[in-house]
Amino acid sequence: MIEFISVTKRYPNGAEALKNTNLCIEKGEFVFLVGSSGAGKTTILKLLYRELLPTRGTIKVLGRDVVKLKKREIPFFRRNMGLVFQDFRLLADRNVYENVAFALRVIETPTREIEKRVMESLELVGLKGKVKSKPSELSGGEQQRISLARAIVNQPAIILADEPTGNLDPDTSIDIVNLLRVVNLRGTTVIMATHDQEIVDRLRKRVIEVEDGEIVRDQLKGGYRHEA
Amino acid sequence: MRLRTWAYFIAEAFKSIFRNGWMSLASVGVVIITLFLLGSFMLLNYNIAFLSSDIKSQIEVVAFLDEGVNRSQVDQLYLKITGFEEVEEAVFVSREDALQRLRAQMGEQGYLLEGYEDQGNNPLRDSFEVRTFVPEEVPELAGKIKQLSGVSRVDYGSEVLDRLFTVTRILNWVGVAFMIALGISATFLIANTIKLTVFTRRQEIMIMKMVGASDWFIRWPFVIEGLVLGLLGSLVPVAGLYFGYQYLVEWVNFNIPFLALMPTAEVFQFLLQTLFILGIGLGILGSSFSLRKFLKV
Ligand SMILES: Nc1ncnc2c1ncn2[C@@H]1O[C@H](COP(=O)(O)OP(=O)(O)O)[C@@H](O)[C@H]1O
Ligand SMILES: [Mg+2]
Repeated sequence: MIEFISVTKRYPNGAEALKNTNLCIEKGEFVFLVGSSGAGKTTILKLLYRELLPTRGTIKVLGRDVVKLKKREIPFFRRNMGLVFQDFRLLADRNVYENVAFALRVIETPTREIEKRVMESLELVGLKGKVKSKPSELSGGEQQRISLARAIVNQPAIILADEPTGNLDPDTSIDIVNLLRVVNLRGTTVIMATHDQEIVDRLRKRVIEVEDGEIVRDQLKGGYRHEA
Repeated sequence: MRLRTWAYFIAEAFKSIFRNGWMSLASVGVVIITLFLLGSFMLLNYNIAFLSSDIKSQIEVVAFLDEGVNRSQVDQLYLKITGFEEVEEAVFVSREDALQRLRAQMGEQGYLLEGYEDQGNNPLRDSFEVRTFVPEEVPELAGKIKQLSGVSRVDYGSEVLDRLFTVTRILNWVGVAFMIALGISATFLIANTIKLTVFTRRQEIMIMKMVGASDWFIRWPFVIEGLVLGLLGSLVPVAGLYFGYQYLVEWVNFNIPFLALMPTAEVFQFLLQTLFILGIGLGILGSSFSLRKFLKV
């Protein structure tokens, strides 16, 4: 379902963020992408949602060769994935409902479907009671839940989360990761980049560790650090 | 795309226009000035052309003949002159006719010419009055007629013509230069307004790209914003020039009755379209500059 074949990514300034990497992720998996800052986690995610093109190699996502996507196909390709970021990326001038509905409106979902799907998503993340609130009136954890509701509202096959708990305290982080587990249990593939040791150790999911642009460990039911 | 989507684009465009109120106002202002100037120049040009066609129709080549030419020589000259392809018509004016005309022009003083009627005493010459199809061909034709034997002298309103043509030409070049400069600044200002919108809406644009909105879905509100700015900028000069010109025509009719301006309805048929199309064009040009540079979709 997701495959990197000898993928190298060199940035225009010469920095080699990914070196001849091979990677394979199956449908329905939950994967932690770990490694210290600057290891190459974000680069891997950006290559997956075609924000970046690899310098060399092949990337396959959902049966498509990502490198060969035409420019006008990229938006339609992205509709298959939900993205979550550390900084939430919400619209400050719109309430919770509108923030989630926005994702459906801009891909021209029929109006009668929008309300149903938005409310389902908000129910799943536990924000059904706060549809009228503005992001600034909510806690960081609640804001990240809006962003998660937005990511799943179009029922994507894959969730890509780049340090979604980076700005949250430990308890709130656990809540968010638990929500990602729920989404994963419903069949969605989840890839989460993080350097949150506690969470990785607690969940015991597949761990792919990146270091200096190379995959140094790929372990099922792994912890944050390599254990002998 | 659906109707609802278009309603959304238009709503977004207007929201941005109001949000960037001052920049929008400045863009619209420059479009107004540009098109107002363009419109005024067009009106001026139309009327110069209209008036000069009046003046031009009075301009002709007058060829005075040698003294003592006979009837058959006159006929031959007539054939030669009407044989030039520039010539629309040529009229023979005998010295007797010329004297008559002069006397009529002098009115009460006509008696002064008494005693000149005799063949021998008439001081005037036989002449041809020649009209061309195109006034610009007068100088060259005058030269050709002068070469004919039997023609002693050629007259034409060369200075009036030359000056008229020169003035119109200079005026037009100055006008075109002005309008190009203004058009560029209008485009630039619109581009900057749109840039501001792109900047204030960068979060929205980022999210749209993130969730898979198509490129044109992202672009349209900006294109419409430019279009509306251009359209607003053309409404004011169209209305202003229309009423201003109507008033001018009435004023001129009343105060300078012999000066005939072009009728309002006739002028505005073309002016209206031109200003609207140019306004919209400037708007779209401005926004497309901005989109290519800042939106990057
Ligand atoms: N836009 C960029 N231009 C140049 N170098 C970059 C860019 N983005 C990331 N890098 C470099 O690529 C490497 C990997 O970065 P990144 O994928 O962001 O790491 P991580 O997400 O694991 O912290 C780093 O050395 C970083 O400096
Ligand atoms: Mg990163």
